[in-house]
Amino acid sequence: MKNIHQYITIIMLLVITAAFSLITPQFFSFQNFTNILIQGSSLAIVATGMTFVIITRGIDLSVGSTMFLAGVISGKMVVADTNLWLACLLILLIGILFGYINASLIYRFKVVPFIVTLATFYMGRGLGLFISETRAVNLPDVFLSIGTSRILGIPFPIAILFFVVLIAHLVLTQTAYGTRVYAVGNSVEKARKAGLPIRQVVLSAYIICGFLAALGGFVAIAQLGAISPSFGMNSELMAISAVVLGGTSLYGGQGNVFPGTLVGALTIQTLQNGLVMINANPYVYPIVTGLVIFTIVLMDSLKHRKNTRSLQTFP
Amino acid sequence: MRKNALFYLCLIYYLVAALLVPGFFSANNSWSLIFNLLPLLIAAIGQMYVILTGGIDLSATAIMATSSVVGGYIMSSDYGLNIPLSPLVLVVGVAAMLAIGMLIGLINGLSVSILGMPAFMVTLATMIFFNGLAVWITGSQNIYNLPEAFNNLFYTSVLWLPIPIWIGAIVLLLGFFILNKTVLGQWIYAVGMNGKTARVSGIHVGATTVFAYVFSGFCVSMAAILYTSRLETASPVMGQNILLDIIGAVIIGGSSLYGGKGKIHMTTLGAVFIILLDNSLNLMGLSYFMIMIIKGAVIVSAVLLNEWKQKSTV
Amino acid sequence: MFLEIQRVTKNFGDVSVLKDINLALKKGTILGLVGENGAGKSTLMNILGGIHQPSSGKIIFEDKSFTPTSPSDSLRAGISLVHQELNLFYNLSINENLHITGFPHKKVGGLSILDQKTARIKTERLLSAVGLDIDPTAIVGDLSSAQKQLVEIAKALSTSPRLIIFDEPKTSLTKYEADNLFRLIQELKSQQTTIIYISHNLDDVIQLGDQISVLRDGVLVNTYNREDKIGTSQLINDMIGRELNHFYPIRNTKPEEETIFQTNGIYAKGLLNDITFELKKKEVLGLYGLVGAGRSEMVRALYGLDALDGGSISWKNEEVLHPTPANWVRKKVALLTEDRGEDGLLPDDTMEKNIALASLPTYSKNPGSIVNWRELKKNILKTVQATKIKYHSLTDQSVKLLSGGNQQKVILSKWLLTEPELLIIDEPTRGIDIGAKYDIYDLINKLVENGMSVLMVSSEIEELIGMCDRILVMKQGTISNEFKKQDFNRSAILEAALHTSE
Repeated sequence: MKNIHQYITIIMLLVITAAFSLITPQFFSFQNFTNILIQGSSLAIVATGMTFVIITRGIDLSVGSTMFLAGVISGKMVVADTNLWLACLLILLIGILFGYINASLIYRFKVVPFIVTLATFYMGRGLGLFISETRAVNLPDVFLSIGTSRILGIPFPIAILFFVVLIAHLVLTQTAYGTRVYAVGNSVEKARKAGLPIRQVVLSAYIICGFLAALGGFVAIAQLGAISPSFGMNSELMAISAVVLGGTSLYGGQGNVFPGTLVGALTIQTLQNGLVMINANPYVYPIVTGLVIFTIVLMDSLKHRKNTRSLQTFP
Repeated sequence: MRKNALFYLCLIYYLVAALLVPGFFSANNSWSLIFNLLPLLIAAIGQMYVILTGGIDLSATAIMATSSVVGGYIMSSDYGLNIPLSPLVLVVGVAAMLAIGMLIGLINGLSVSILGMPAFMVTLATMIFFNGLAVWITGSQNIYNLPEAFNNLFYTSVLWLPIPIWIGAIVLLLGFFILNKTVLGQWIYAVGMNGKTARVSGIHVGATTVFAYVFSGFCVSMAAILYTSRLETASPVMGQNILLDIIGAVIIGGSSLYGGKGKIHMTTLGAVFIILLDNSLNLMGLSYFMIMIIKGAVIVSAVLLNEWKQKSTV
Repeated sequence: MFLEIQRVTKNFGDVSVLKDINLALKKGTILGLVGENGAGKSTLMNILGGIHQPSSGKIIFEDKSFTPTSPSDSLRAGISLVHQELNLFYNLSINENLHITGFPHKKVGGLSILDQKTARIKTERLLSAVGLDIDPTAIVGDLSSAQKQLVEIAKALSTSPRLIIFDEPKTSLTKYEADNLFRLIQELKSQQTTIIYISHNLDDVIQLGDQISVLRDGVLVNTYNREDKIGTSQLINDMIGRELNHFYPIRNTKPEEETIFQTNGIYAKGLLNDITFELKKKEVLGLYGLVGAGRSEMVRALYGLDALDGGSISWKNEEVLHPTPANWVRKKVALLTEDRGEDGLLPDDTMEKNIALASLPTYSKNPGSIVNWRELKKNILKTVQATKIKYHSLTDQSVKLLSGGNQQKVILSKWLLTEPELLIIDEPTRGIDIGAKYDIYDLINKLVENGMSVLMVSSEIEELIGMCDRILVMKQGTISNEFKKQDFNRSAILEAALHTSE
């Protein structure tokens, strides 16, 4: 069941690749595939964090604002001659803080995740725009040089991406913590009966999500060299789409980072890249995005329905 | 007790602002308050119906934009239809605006009730899609040259009051009537309060849910009509920034996000409070983003207060 | 003594569930625990499992005072529970489920990671102990009910407990698997593990138990030893105990010949099989069965709340093609479900709104037109008087603040307002005080005299015998026996429900 869905996603990625390759030959080149990986790394990193939250049956709509706010604050500091590494560290700390705020509102006050994160989405974006005075923050060249550097001959964004996916995959599949994330997502009630540390699981999932959102933001900033006022907009939707497309269910307890979310993110990036290559009207992108999200969520709901029906049989 | 609390809060806020904020207590600003309030109030009533069923409509502002653009295409002398008879074009235009809003509401409602998709994901998707659609078909351009009669809506009085006030009052009364006097209204509350009990009691839970989303679409297009007339322009990014205000008005009015609880007059006060806040902070010269943060904080506090009240009454 | 329970009492609110229980158990022995539904077996077990705390009394476990406040306390002390309701994560593998509370770890270069190999070896050992030959990485949700139950048992063994409590562990096992389980229990016993075995299957209890205790209404009425050579009939007598008193009001009418409700071969996958029965006008038909026999599942499926996979239903000799709650309400068939909070009440709403809920369409032309509240309120008031609800205000008090008995009367009022011709009522008096019980019985009788029919689902035999014209007994998702009024006999009915023929 789980595996079939993953094959479908991988096949979808291959079909999209094949289709664009037929339309524009330039699409099918090593250079372009590397580009897709580089451009898609930020999204895939953010989506990896989102995977943790969605597996616990939550959602985080604030990741785009986290990316933006963390970038703006540290960007401003670098421009004001703060130590570069300190600024980088700060980005990640802001991400963690965002996750912590989200999780404590959700866990302590029992407010539905999408409302909490919708509120922090607005507040983060507002604060960021306030600090940046709605102007683009131009960053010193060191940022760009980080973005274009290579680690062991691998472009920086790709290296970070692989590192993140590897760690996340190991955490989810090889640790007791990972198993508990799935357990809580399956049923909080059962997890409580089994005496699992629910608070710890929920808190950590949102903190991981905030942290990886900030890291994903950093990877994107290092490629762009500037933070525009619209930076990170719709990133939450892209990330959610990538996660669900990768077979992780919005109903919790199911899914994985590798290959699921990684393939999901690459599929979305390939789609975008391809639309650019065939010179599609940029206004069409959001329409396609909306349709894709709708379809993915629909498929997820139908799958979930079928599953719950078969689970209703009792001993 | 609580409904009085919000009423007095609005009143005190109004008085304090009248004393302290220059330019707040003037005829001009009072009209501006009322004209800003009307569309927000109308949209918030629709949103409240959806929230009462335990859902949410994040596509409200996308509906607004789509509805505005559709109306613009039909009514503007720059485009297509060019129906010579002005009253007719007005009727067709307004009818189409309402129809498109209700159609999108229907899509939302069916997806949530029949297909069982999570409301916030459905309406996020339709938000992106219809925002994108509005921008795409207009090429991100505004549409001007709407009929005089349409543009003058705010300056035309019937029985001593401008037409938008009548529209606002009618929607308000309609919202109140359905919710408090009809079977449907009772069903909406019951579905949100305990959908399982509602189902066992023979209520058409699906149809009730669909109605709430369609009604939200209707209200939001009504708001779009007012905005479009006021701006004398149909805009594909209309209402981009007021989604938070719409949901905020409902929440400040004490409606529970879990559904089943909320009152029309409280939502009205919620909308009044948002408008007072927005208007006074603007007059104080705060930047748009600062206002956004303050409003966000107020709304989050309201959510937490609601949840806290919930728990303390159990 | 290995385990001593001394004067343990447990109250839930005003209701006393366990009264002054004394029990002593030697190491390496098996205690069989029997009693009717609601006799307090599960509560006793949950106290030992740390889920509930006793209101008074104490427990001595391995010569130390034992006061667990959470399930993990009990686990740590060496007590494992095998619940009838499985607490398994259906999205995880068997291996993960067995180790969810404590995975073995190993150090790799200073990092502590899961020791998959050790975990797997342990899982395989546990699975073979319960006789389950299956890949440990299989997802639990994909397993059959029997396999899930065996996994739950394996999970209980995984902590190497010194006391294991089984609650109906073999309801979905085949004979072969059950034999395996019994072998396992004997083996555990020979390794000095102590076992409490709770079951409705008296033959099993007699076969296994070194000691058998009978609970009735929260009181431990008798404890036997193996040497007493006790038989099932004695145990049944102990379980039922008291004589039926004249508590039930008399009904002055008899069922008529006309059949108004009929099912034929109702089937729902994994739940119900070949349910066929009919119900006469003015008849009160009882439906008895043990927990898990499928009683509530059947009425829910008939009412269109859960899916049906086959069979037909007819109402007044016409087949009902779309059995949905809305259609049933229109046909004047009402369902009072077993769980008031779950799907009976709008807990935060007023009495008036709760009672009006199912009748609203009757008091207006269509859903969009005005509700005739004046007429509605008048009838609500009449109904409330008939059901004798004690309340402060119809319009200003949420029903969740009412007592259980009054809440039940609110739901009953909701349905009476629809003037039903058939009332399906699931556990009419569960958790209700004696006065309200009598009111409800009396009311049902009056309504039946006026022409209504009733399908009464209950886990209290006495209630059914007192109220019904006929009783059907359900077992494992199907109707196994039928008792006519002249044949009503508590022992016979209980035996029919308990007896498991293999």
